[in-house]
Amino acid sequence: MWLYEKRLQYPVNITKTCPKTAQLIISQFGGPDGELAASMRYLSQRYTMPCRQLGGLLTDIGTEELGHLEIICAMVYQLTCNLTPEQVKTAGFDAYYIDHTAALWPQAAGGVPYNACEFQSKGDAVTDLHENLAAEQKARTVYENLLRIIEDPQIKEPLRFLREREIVHYQRFGEALEQVKARLDSKNFYYFNPEFDKHMVSQ
Amino acid sequence: MTQRSQMLQKISEISFAVNDLTLYLDTHPTDAAALNAFSKFSKERRELLQQYAEQFEPLCPDCVCPDTNNQSASNTPYPGERHFPWIDGPLPWEGGM
Repeated sequence: MWLYEKRLQYPVNITKTCPKTAQLIISQFGGPDGELAASMRYLSQRYTMPCRQLGGLLTDIGTEELGHLEIICAMVYQLTCNLTPEQVKTAGFDAYYIDHTAALWPQAAGGVPYNACEFQSKGDAVTDLHENLAAEQKARTVYENLLRIIEDPQIKEPLRFLREREIVHYQRFGEALEQVKARLDSKNFYYFNPEFDKHMVSQ
Repeated sequence: MTQRSQMLQKISEISFAVNDLTLYLDTHPTDAAALNAFSKFSKERRELLQQYAEQFEPLCPDCVCPDTNNQSASNTPYPGERHFPWIDGPLPWEGGM
């Protein structure tokens, strides 16, 4: 289960309304490499992981991703909470506004709704850990794309924090992959599915 | 910076250390230096959360105590009245820390 802590993992204090930026940042809520997909990916994969340690790591990173989802949503909220009708029309936020006003709804920057197909839970620890390593890198790329075109320092700061977390998670998943491999047959690591061919995993 | 935001920032910093060390220890569970740092920061975090809850709103369910929380009676619709302090304080996404 989860307990809520009533604070953001990293503070968000954005004072300038900017629906255009909100429309870009929302991709890290419901887009293909967003935080919703990240948390659901890890929290779905964890049950069948072949060793307890790995299930624990996926739980902890998946939980942190929920906190990141909250940071992104707080940013979108603060960028749009004082919208004037004029700002709605001129800033490229109009289509979103028609369906959701200024409420949070998970979608990609291009308007594609959040979809579970954005992530995989394949039931093979080697496959899933590679998926996770790639996911962290893809999310880092998206944060860098955002940082390249956004100028407001109040928006950049939390985005920089989130980008750095992708790098740390990549590191931890890399270590986890090495640990799984250490328990497989070194003559051919990739010949078995450690989640299915359980007898091939040394305990 | 108000006293509230200073304390909140300290809680954020120490919580970040605890969180990052948690992930590190998940893959290095016997690292002595990390274990010591985890114990130190995690104790400090508990103390800070307790101190903060006494002065302001409780940040986590385990800190909720109607008789000792929010002694500054800030950000509450029920100043001076016995009430459930979990409802006190701003919501995290409202900003203005």
